[in-house]
Amino acid sequence: MSDSRQAWFARMMESGLEHSIFGPSDVLAHATPDVLATHLPPELLSKVLAASLAAGAMTPERVLETVTPELLAKHLPHDVLWACIAAAAARAGVTGAGRS
Amino acid sequence: MHCRCRGARRGHWGRALVNIKAFFVATLSSALDLGIATPDDVLRHVTPDVLSTYLPRPLWARLLTAALGAPRVDAQLVVETIGVPNLCEHVPSAIVWACVAEIGQRSLTGGVPAQPISRMAAATPGPMKAAPLPVSAPPAVTAAPAVAAAPAPAVAAAPAIAAMPLVSPPPAAAAPAEIKRDTPSRGMPVATPPPAAAAPTPKPAPDGLADVVAALESDERHTTASRTRTPTGPRFRQNPTGISRLGAINTRRPQAPVSAADEPTRSGAAPTPPAGAAAKPARRGETESDEAFEIEAEGKEDWKSSLAVEDEQLVDWQASESTQTAADEYRKR
Repeated sequence: MSDSRQAWFARMMESGLEHSIFGPSDVLAHATPDVLATHLPPELLSKVLAASLAAGAMTPERVLETVTPELLAKHLPHDVLWACIAAAAARAGVTGAGRS
Repeated sequence: MHCRCRGARRGHWGRALVNIKAFFVATLSSALDLGIATPDDVLRHVTPDVLSTYLPRPLWARLLTAALGAPRVDAQLVVETIGVPNLCEHVPSAIVWACVAEIGQRSLTGGVPAQPISRMAAATPGPMKAAPLPVSAPPAVTAAPAVAAAPAPAVAAAPAIAAMPLVSPPPAAAAPAEIKRDTPSRGMPVATPPPAAAAPTPKPAPDGLADVVAALESDERHTTASRTRTPTGPRFRQNPTGISRLGAINTRRPQAPVSAADEPTRSGAAPTPPAGAAAKPARRGETESDEAFEIEAEGKEDWKSSLAVEDEQLVDWQASESTQTAADEYRKR
């Protein structure tokens, strides 16, 4: 069940980014630096920092190039990802909150 | 990918709506494939009323065709026939999102451990597939649907009777196998056989050969007495062919008894029967004269004298009309 849910959330995150339901900045709005620093493993944090240092800047897009949707679903709490998805759905106007 | 995200944000509402539908398609499809959701979850929101309102007629025709040809109609059939892309395309996104939201909330709370479609279709009995799953159903209820589907406690209380195959023999038929046991096994009492089916009681062992012979003879008598009698010959008359009458004609007439003292004088050299012939018993249907004839013929000695007939014996032949007539004719010639 945990693996299936993880795969599903990974697929949702990938599809949301692919279909522009939400963007990297929307993801980082929920996956804050505190959340990332708390849940990401040290080697992954190291990669993020190394990629940013090589590019000269740390942007949400560059962070998500390193922390892929699979890694997001693997390390981050799913309720954080779901909040991202739900907010995007609300913005898309498919929920009652979004319509109002 | 990220550049497209920026472009989509700048796009108009229609494009965003297309994107959200594609997102729903991916979300629902993966949820069904991964077992996060079931077709029942989809039909709980995409109800038949919703389908009747929003589903195009060609898709309805396809659904009706599939339902008519299927042995059983359930949520899986509906979802698979219509297809998730068509559902997300025609059903309002709010309804689809409500379905996705319910699945997501349930997934976060660890509510229902749903199974993939294929495994669900293989494991769930027919009547249970059409029954919608409760949203707040605990996993135990989903794991044991047969208990909830039992229509009456009486049916569930007697599973052995329902599971018993029709061709299996009744329990009473298995009793003879237990009767054959000499010693009780596993605490089962030795059943006494019924008198009618009882085997013959074993006789005491005979002591000597005479006892064995007597026992065999008594057994033979028993078997002979119990043997059914079969008719050896036909009960009805045979066809009147006249064979038996011809045979009766050919039988020799009774002859005058000849004393043993006169016989040697008449035949002259009357052969004495061989020593073996005296011991030969007369066979059934034979007369003593036949026996004597056979003995003489076997000897092949003075057979002419043995066939010599006295004149007294020819009287009857001359008295016969046919013989007499023929004799006259021959005399005339």
